[in-house]
Amino acid sequence: MKLHRNCEGNHPDVLSALSRREFMQIGMIGSLGLSLPSMLRLQAAEMPKVESFNAMADSIIHIYLPGGMAQHESWDPKPFASPDYRGPYTPIKTSVPGEYVGEKFVNIAKIMNKLTVVRSMTHGEAAHERGTHNMFTGYRPSPAIKFPSFGSIISHEQGSRNNLPPYVVVPSQSIPEQGTGYMSSAFGPFALGSDPADKGFAVRDLLAPKDVTTQRFDRRRNMLAAVDEHFRASEKSDAIGAMDSFQQAAYGLVSSAKAREAFDLSKESDKLRDEYGRNTAGQRFLLARRLVEAGVRMVSVTYGGWDHHSNIKGAFDQNAPSFDQAFARLITDLADRGMLKRTLVMVSSEFGRTPKINGTNGRDHWPRVFSVAMAGGGMKEGYIHGASDALGGEPDRDAVGPADLAKTMYRVLGINSDKRIVSEGGRPIDIVNGGRMMNEWLA
Amino acid sequence: MFPRPRLILPLLALAWSALAAAEPVSFEQVRAVFEGKCLECHNPEKTKGKLLMTSREAFLKGGESGTTLVAGDASKSELVRRLTLPKGHDDIMPPKDGPLPAAEIELVRRWVAEGAVWTAGVVLSAKSKEIEAARADLKLKLPTLEKLQIFPEKIGLETKRDFHRIVVFATFADATTRDVTAFANLHVADAKIAQFDGYSVHATADAGQTEVVADLGGLTARAPVAVKDGQKDRAISFRLDVMPVFMRATCNSGGCHGAARGKDGFRLSLFGMDPDGDYLRLTRELVGRRINLAIPEESTLVEKCVGKVPHSGNKLYDEDSIYNKNILEWITNGAKDDPADVAKVTGIEVFPKQIVLEGKDATQQITVRATYSDGTDRDVTNFALFMSNNDPVAAITKDGVVKSGERGAAFMLARFNVFSVTAQVIVIPKGLVYERPKAAEVNYIDKAVNERLHRLRVIPSGTCTDEEYVRRVFIDVVGLYPKPEELKAFIDDKAADKRAKLVEGLLQRKEFTELWVMKWAELLQIRSGIAGNNNIPPFYKNALLYYNWLGDLIGKNVPIDKIVVDLLSATGGTVSVPAVNYYQSELDRLKLSENVAQVFMGMRIQCAQCHNHPFDRWTMNDYYGFNAFFAQIGRKNTDDPQEVIIYNSKGGETQHFLTKKNVKPKFLGGEEPDLKPGDDRRRVMAEWLASPRNPYFARNIANIIWAHFLGVGVVDPVDDVRVSNPPSNPELLDELAKRLTEYKYDVRQLVRDITASAAYQRSSKTNESNAADKLNFARAQVRRVRAEVLLDGISQVTETPNKFQGLPVGARAVQIADGAVSNYFLTTFGRSKRESVASTEVKTDPNLSQALHLMNGDAVNDRIARGGVVEKMINGGKSNDEIIRELFLRTFGRAPAPVEIKSVTDAIAAEPASRKVILEDAFWALMNSKEFYFNH
Repeated sequence: MKLHRNCEGNHPDVLSALSRREFMQIGMIGSLGLSLPSMLRLQAAEMPKVESFNAMADSIIHIYLPGGMAQHESWDPKPFASPDYRGPYTPIKTSVPGEYVGEKFVNIAKIMNKLTVVRSMTHGEAAHERGTHNMFTGYRPSPAIKFPSFGSIISHEQGSRNNLPPYVVVPSQSIPEQGTGYMSSAFGPFALGSDPADKGFAVRDLLAPKDVTTQRFDRRRNMLAAVDEHFRASEKSDAIGAMDSFQQAAYGLVSSAKAREAFDLSKESDKLRDEYGRNTAGQRFLLARRLVEAGVRMVSVTYGGWDHHSNIKGAFDQNAPSFDQAFARLITDLADRGMLKRTLVMVSSEFGRTPKINGTNGRDHWPRVFSVAMAGGGMKEGYIHGASDALGGEPDRDAVGPADLAKTMYRVLGINSDKRIVSEGGRPIDIVNGGRMMNEWLA
Repeated sequence: MFPRPRLILPLLALAWSALAAAEPVSFEQVRAVFEGKCLECHNPEKTKGKLLMTSREAFLKGGESGTTLVAGDASKSELVRRLTLPKGHDDIMPPKDGPLPAAEIELVRRWVAEGAVWTAGVVLSAKSKEIEAARADLKLKLPTLEKLQIFPEKIGLETKRDFHRIVVFATFADATTRDVTAFANLHVADAKIAQFDGYSVHATADAGQTEVVADLGGLTARAPVAVKDGQKDRAISFRLDVMPVFMRATCNSGGCHGAARGKDGFRLSLFGMDPDGDYLRLTRELVGRRINLAIPEESTLVEKCVGKVPHSGNKLYDEDSIYNKNILEWITNGAKDDPADVAKVTGIEVFPKQIVLEGKDATQQITVRATYSDGTDRDVTNFALFMSNNDPVAAITKDGVVKSGERGAAFMLARFNVFSVTAQVIVIPKGLVYERPKAAEVNYIDKAVNERLHRLRVIPSGTCTDEEYVRRVFIDVVGLYPKPEELKAFIDDKAADKRAKLVEGLLQRKEFTELWVMKWAELLQIRSGIAGNNNIPPFYKNALLYYNWLGDLIGKNVPIDKIVVDLLSATGGTVSVPAVNYYQSELDRLKLSENVAQVFMGMRIQCAQCHNHPFDRWTMNDYYGFNAFFAQIGRKNTDDPQEVIIYNSKGGETQHFLTKKNVKPKFLGGEEPDLKPGDDRRRVMAEWLASPRNPYFARNIANIIWAHFLGVGVVDPVDDVRVSNPPSNPELLDELAKRLTEYKYDVRQLVRDITASAAYQRSSKTNESNAADKLNFARAQVRRVRAEVLLDGISQVTETPNKFQGLPVGARAVQIADGAVSNYFLTTFGRSKRESVASTEVKTDPNLSQALHLMNGDAVNDRIARGGVVEKMINGGKSNDEIIRELFLRTFGRAPAPVEIKSVTDAIAAEPASRKVILEDAFWALMNSKEFYFNH
């Protein structure tokens, strides 16, 4: 039987003896005699224990290039293939002997010796949203379950640090797959709501309004506490509790200049801002660095449009240089600050593009093989994992699937992805279903 | 003759003892010995040494050591031999504190020698300490015994193999129930027709009628037994005897061989959805290995399961279990496929269905009976899978024994074949001091709700205040915050029926209509640019026309059933006939039919696209049968890209995912309609869907309305109706659905009933017994006001009009037609994007951005300044107290407490120059308070 397009085929086994008890949490919160805390206690008791890991990195910057960046023009050029496969560019040498990158990656070529590049990523989803789902969750899309994004899992597992939201999307949540899936929205991303590259960029609502001085803000806060008291004392509900905690988080953010400053790009020197590039790539990446520096656990950054069905050269000329400049500067910046060891940077895209240039001088969707680049967080430096075949059409060796990537990423952050989380429907679901821990990537 | 009597006396004594010896040992005498000393181990639960001592037959059958009892010959009886072994011998019985007293041994010996008489039909049961304690406990409770029942209520025994396990079920005056099978005097009236083996009754004659009788506490329960072909055997069947083993032993579950790729090289269809395929794989793949016809015991199918060879899934069952026996017998008989006319399972039933257990660790056996298409039935308790939806309240063993835990309610799901059914279990604390409160009972809603609360021993909260009520109904019925003058008018009204009058007035307002248009627009996904593409229909114009069409119908109070039929059978262009835009909201036909089931019936049938639903009744046949109604939707473009014609193409079929054969249209959970080629399938489906013929429609609509007002559905979430997610109060849902049908689907009428009920009018203040309750309507739920209503409320209290795309200044967010139109506030507060039909599209979950936006954003701070409400009041010469009072009424719908006034006036006293600013800050604080944006 052919696998159905909608079917992961290995649903969590809800009927097996092992998970039967975990399965039926349905209706538990609501049922009598079992309050939320006792349910949580129960979950903790019922869930099989998994080994806990020491974190190798404190935070992750996930740079996502929506549309599907061509592997040939970027991380996995084929300098010796015929021109209709090689593409419009001449690959260039990098700081790793014998390894090439696309012509537009001039800065990246210099820092290649700091990266781990996986050239044998593969999955079977050639539609944007389905490929995106793979690369944001480690799961194939399913009609029955909405899976949470990496960031939501990290929020759920690790929580907030230094008054900052644990999971921030830059610039805004444009991709549904960045959401919380089956988990409560309490683990959703904090969206900037505006673009760091905009003139006068400021994150919405972080600052008290101009006419509200600190003294006035304190007065408001006191009055709010006074008028809120009646309701708080008399009404009990989970939602009120959650809103209370968000209000406290908001106070923390508003009143902690340090936390707020994480969102303030003007605190960076003009020189550095120029070096990152005064464009959407540069300023977003720079902000991402500020955020992880201040304590955000995961920053999910999107940049550009990489769906180059036609005229790939023109599109690459437009998109790639900013990315090249910003990414290379990000890595060196992190290294200069001594943060690279404890910060994982991951660059991915939903899939690659067809090995052969098409009739409109572009490349079409190709999930069979593509590349992912990583740096820091204990990853090897100057390491190439796997390889695509001579034309860049199939993994030649050491293929890596989304679950392998996700599992390893979580491991680096100190999260054991074998752990199961109970979804709202009551199904206990692995953080990542299977996957191989890619020990060979780690230094 | 003086000494003679002295001789006679001993002689007499001898004669007496000889006489006594001649008197045969009565069954009751040995029964006491067996029940007190042997049954603890040799009962159906344990069956130590494979010996059952509950009935004469079982006894005669013997155990591991062969024949236990040779009636009439004590010396050949294993029973006597084991009893008379010396102390400390390995085989002595009882093993722990044997031997028995000599008198008891002698009693047993003689009983055997005298032919082992057994009172017909009597079933023995253990008298262990626990059981004796239970018996004593039962004795205390027995005077309040009200009802004694035998389950199943009717017993049909069709073949030699057939049996039914009997459960005797007692109901007491306090509505608690007990499993008294072990304590009732249980027997078959005519032992020549049927007899007990353990608690299972089976045929002893070929045909006849008798009854099972149970006596307890002066009550007698009877269940008729009909025996037919009771001495004939039936052939073992792959589908009816072997496949159920795969399900029960979870061989075909998703984590094992049921996975799409199988496991370790062997695949079974998931939950046995494809018996033909399973037969093929078992018998034709790796011939001679999985099934070894020459030596059946060496088939891997046998060896793996009983643990004779290594198996990733470990040992699944014992060699002498019914599971292994079935499989072995099937293989021994040649592993044949079933004839084409083999019976099919037509349904299953559980007994008992309503259980109320008292205290921790009370148990109740549940049995499952399956009915077959050939008119027979079977006890399939051994083959069913059991699950509890709430283990801490009531857990269930794999053999169907429910064990109570903490107080609460739970459902036990039993699954067999493709069927899932539930039994309801309520657990109440033992010795709870409880008296049924005299809770207000306004209408049928309260009757159902109060009855349920009584069964749960939960005391409902009192009635909310007038202030709370007016705010609550304003927000719920019309999506507005009450204005201070409206509030005052209501408080001042002294009429007894003022609450009903208030609702009546609100129901006539256009805002009521608008609120429901919005809710339906969400379910129908009225939005432009589906799939994130603005260059394909539906365009903004389409969405607007579609929305206006819907608004027009709801505004005219056209009943929902009529609207649904018009919508689903619409034919024409997306501009000229706006209703057809429904078919543009989802172009994938599979998803379309799933959406229809989810929105209009509350069913999620997605699972059945690829496999039979594991926790619900839906099979792939149901799924594709329903999908076939959508197989003939024609779409045609016109010169105007905004106008796409939807029509009946009269051609096209749905193929079954597995068989690839065309599937005939079949109503979901209903029959196959008689269709002629060319009939408009959508119309046929729509007319069935929105009619009383479809029992789910009215229930679903009623549940959606109920959930809107109470914050939680009777089935919750409202679009997840399934066997394993049963309604929290089935009687309530039935009644709501019945009324809605009687009201001809007039939503307003149902809203009147709901808002009038004591259940809706309860206070949100909790008491000890209902604090943890969310599902039984014992108190009002505190709910965050949804995005649109909240923004409109802010606009109203700050007197700052809104402006949205396509709408005039001052329009309300509730009136936004197109789901693609949004703004920062609405997005942040969880407005439905209308991207899916899921009820979870509308989010009222809090997040950080919401907190920040209310605190620092333009929605509150700027609007306070822009509306100048405080300034106007100051200019109007109002005092601080008056202004504070007015602000409280606007936002909280209540007057401020003195301490609350003081917190503001103190601040003003400290800084009189900043009076306006401080009052505006108070206004800000009110709008940032949870009391403002929660409805309570």
